[in-house]
Amino acid sequence: MEGVESKEREVMVAKPVAVGVSDLLLRLLAFTVTLVAAIVIAVDKQTKVVPIQLSDSLPPLDVPLTAKWHQMSAIVYFLVTNAIACTYAVLSLLLALVNRGKSKGLWTLIAVLDAFMVALLFSGNGAAAAVGVLGYKGNSHVNWNKVCNVFGKFCDQMAASIGVSLIGSLAFLLLVIIPGVRLHRRN
Amino acid sequence: MASTDKHGDTEYRTSSSTPAPAGVDYFKFDVILRFVLFAASLVAVVVIVTGNQTEVILVPQPVPWPAKFRYTPAFVYFVAALSVTGLYSIITTLASLFASNKPALKTKLLLYFILWDALILGIIASATGTAGGVAYLGLKGNSHVVGWNKICHVYDKFCRHVGASIAVALFGSIVTVLLIWLSAYSIHSRVPK
Repeated sequence: MEGVESKEREVMVAKPVAVGVSDLLLRLLAFTVTLVAAIVIAVDKQTKVVPIQLSDSLPPLDVPLTAKWHQMSAIVYFLVTNAIACTYAVLSLLLALVNRGKSKGLWTLIAVLDAFMVALLFSGNGAAAAVGVLGYKGNSHVNWNKVCNVFGKFCDQMAASIGVSLIGSLAFLLLVIIPGVRLHRRN
Repeated sequence: MASTDKHGDTEYRTSSSTPAPAGVDYFKFDVILRFVLFAASLVAVVVIVTGNQTEVILVPQPVPWPAKFRYTPAFVYFVAALSVTGLYSIITTLASLFASNKPALKTKLLLYFILWDALILGIIASATGTAGGVAYLGLKGNSHVVGWNKICHVYDKFCRHVGASIAVALFGSIVTVLLIWLSAYSIHSRVPK
């Protein structure tokens, strides 16, 4: 009798920090999705020969221009945030698997960093999306011409990468919400 | 088996009454942080909206050329997102104040707070990143893309306003992260041991 009672009490203590299967699946999804987004934009490269008119008297000069991710700071920031989120997702997945609710301090740290990753990933997506919209539409007020009519493949691949990274942001968002809901149900 | 269940239930019930007061102190911080978020959103919106500047551009003809936040879709999104955040924060500040001496309502509110705070974090963080990306382009220009020149050496007042607004929005996102941590900690401390 005593043994059964103490076992029931132990189960109730371990429950609040239990890691559900949905947590692990979401972390795996976040890891794969941010990895794909980072790789897709890192290999994105397009070279086009563009005729540039230096002055009216000379014939237009054919200059090969290359579009690559490291030329724009916002895209660099997007890649860096995706890389950080990817590393964090794999580390927290391993930690959650190894430490199945045993150490409460570690669980708190993971929950804290999850919320921070939501902010980081969303800000990276926003920056890349803003630069993408500028590339697609240009801005007539500041005389910034659009570039996506020339570098179509580069822009399309960047759009795909941003879309995929948004899925990763949503996965991290769910990772913040679902444990909160689960803990609240235990009240 | 029935007797052990009953014993387990009474253990559960007696221990559930003790952690409930643990969340009370943090509600003061909750109200304060939400009001700070409201203040930050309001300041950010007002500062960027009042930052219009007109300068005379000599090429191709001497014409006055204005710089306004609504000429850039990124800044328009920034103003919209921060307005939504301001509205959300004033509603939740009032809800938090209203529930400050009703423990049952407080526990129910914590669930909604953590859900909506997470969504609002996504909105305000993306707005900060969006405006930050475009503002950095305006500050430094981009030599790789033909024609994307910097504008802040001409429109200094506009750039100062935009920069200050983005800094305040960044502070607002940090406050939102703190609010999520607070709600998660409050929920966690209320779980019966």
